[in-house]
Amino acid sequence: MSQVRMLVLIAVTLLIVLCSVFLGPRIVSPMATTDIDKEILFSIRLPRVLVALLMGMALGASGAVLQGILRNPLADPYILGISSGASLSAALGIIGGLTFLGTFTVPMLAFCGALVTGGIVGVMGWKRGGLWPDRLLLAGVGLSFLFSALLMLMMSISTDEGLRRAMLWIFGDLSMSEWPRIPYGLAFVMIGILLSTTRAKALNALILGDEFAHSLGFAPRRERFILFISVGLMTGASVSLGGMIGFIGLLIPHIMRFFLGSDSRMLIPASALGGGALLCIADLISRSLLPPLELPAGVITAIIGAPYFLYLLRRKDVLSI
Amino acid sequence: MKKILTLFIHDRLIRFYPRPDNVIEHMKNLFIIAALVLGISTSISAEIASPPKRIVSLAPNMTEILYALGLGDNIVGVTSFCDYPEEAKKKPKIGGMSDPSLEAVVSLKPDIVVMTTDGNPKEFEERLRSLEVHTYVSQARRLADLPRGIRELGVALGVRERADALADKIAAGIRNSAGQKAALASPPSTPKKILFIVWPEPLIVAGPGTVINDAIALLRGENLAATAKTQYPKYSIEEAIRQAPDVIMIGKASGMDMQAISNGILQRLATVPAVKNGKVCFMGDSLYRLGPRVVKGIEELSECLK
Repeated sequence: MSQVRMLVLIAVTLLIVLCSVFLGPRIVSPMATTDIDKEILFSIRLPRVLVALLMGMALGASGAVLQGILRNPLADPYILGISSGASLSAALGIIGGLTFLGTFTVPMLAFCGALVTGGIVGVMGWKRGGLWPDRLLLAGVGLSFLFSALLMLMMSISTDEGLRRAMLWIFGDLSMSEWPRIPYGLAFVMIGILLSTTRAKALNALILGDEFAHSLGFAPRRERFILFISVGLMTGASVSLGGMIGFIGLLIPHIMRFFLGSDSRMLIPASALGGGALLCIADLISRSLLPPLELPAGVITAIIGAPYFLYLLRRKDVLSI
Repeated sequence: MKKILTLFIHDRLIRFYPRPDNVIEHMKNLFIIAALVLGISTSISAEIASPPKRIVSLAPNMTEILYALGLGDNIVGVTSFCDYPEEAKKKPKIGGMSDPSLEAVVSLKPDIVVMTTDGNPKEFEERLRSLEVHTYVSQARRLADLPRGIRELGVALGVRERADALADKIAAGIRNSAGQKAALASPPSTPKKILFIVWPEPLIVAGPGTVINDAIALLRGENLAATAKTQYPKYSIEEAIRQAPDVIMIGKASGMDMQAISNGILQRLATVPAVKNGKVCFMGDSLYRLGPRVVKGIEELSECLK
């Protein structure tokens, strides 16, 4: 049964991806004939849709993994402070006008910021030879407050115009998506999804408790560490691809649980697909609604996603991680 | 000052007449109107006598106008954005445009605080007035409003003649700017399509209601973003490609190497006529501020359009 639903989900996601490539402020026919249409299709829309798909997949999957390893239904990829660290270092790059790697500078800085922050959270969450869910969570929250405060501090003392623009980047911008970003984004997101899906059985056990996982033959601390690494890679790659997009990481895993149940082996890939599809639709709407003006995709994500989630919440009576 | 008060009275009157249902409210309104009328007569007579000794400016364009009126020495406080002329940087700072510090402004004991409706919060003006600090709020937002705005400021600050001279000079400058003359002499059959980039990543351009839009219209160009919904829209790159601008102008953000950070967007717009034909101009920041430098900005613009 759930295999069938999974196939449906894959088909729907593919359909949405195709739609978002050919629809937009204007419809471009798949048989694009004019030079302008070809240019728009290949240089603007395809990379943009792929970036949206990758970001959404990374956020959905890492949300599902994180809610499991932290045993907390409110966990999302941004709660560990990884995104705040990424935003802070990206903002430093934008405000400082750094361009040493060309258009790659800001995404690269964001990714490094994410990895460094992930490392710090990991060290803080490490005690007696392993990562502890509560410690990780609290370290993440603490660090995220610190970095947000530093970001606000930079905002309030800087007089630069660049600052307001840095904010625009941080709040999610897919318009600068370009081909060179796809390979590394694809690599990190796929590594993350594969790594976490192969550890999905262990994640199922971890959700039920460390003793339980241990009795099933898993090393809880080691498994949690591997899963944590996969979350760090995916979240970092996602923030560096296009800034922060809320909602997906927190609520897509819950929506997918409503459909497919809590088995992580299904839930992780399903959350990835659901997240990717939702961000593609949101971006499609954000660029087609009021052209030539573009709206922030993150806003649309929550506006279409949240009511649907609330509707599901009302209909179902069993909730679980 | 007078205009604000008149507006305020007007607002009160409108509220006063259609709903004659609350006598106390009416009495209060009448009282306020009376107080305001008295206030106007006293404040005007006080202001015309001699230019205020201590002026605080809450907007970079107002700072520039004050310097151009020869009141630079009377300025005792500016915003952190006021970086022109060079001396303005040395004045004490009172915070930003949207978030000035009330304490900093009041502690400077200003005779008058010069503000603008284009960037300063209305509530701040109300707070200042409630603390009995004199304010002048400039209503000018568009290019065509500037000369009149300067004249009104001159009246409020008691430097009427100087203000009239400056306003005349700017009005003449706008009328006579070389580019406009050329454009009027031989209006191009199809206006040049212009995209004025304010920030390259993400792409933000100058849209309707901006001085830049006015200046482009003045020079008979076509601002491609003129139909967008906001003043500084985040612009669709694919629409920019479709609209095929003939000229791309890139504004200056302070402290930024615009050429370096524009490489990416120019690569993405590589197929539009402007980039193909090398009609990409890096501009100054003159047109971002509705002040004495707009004439220079218009000249820069027409230079780029040649």
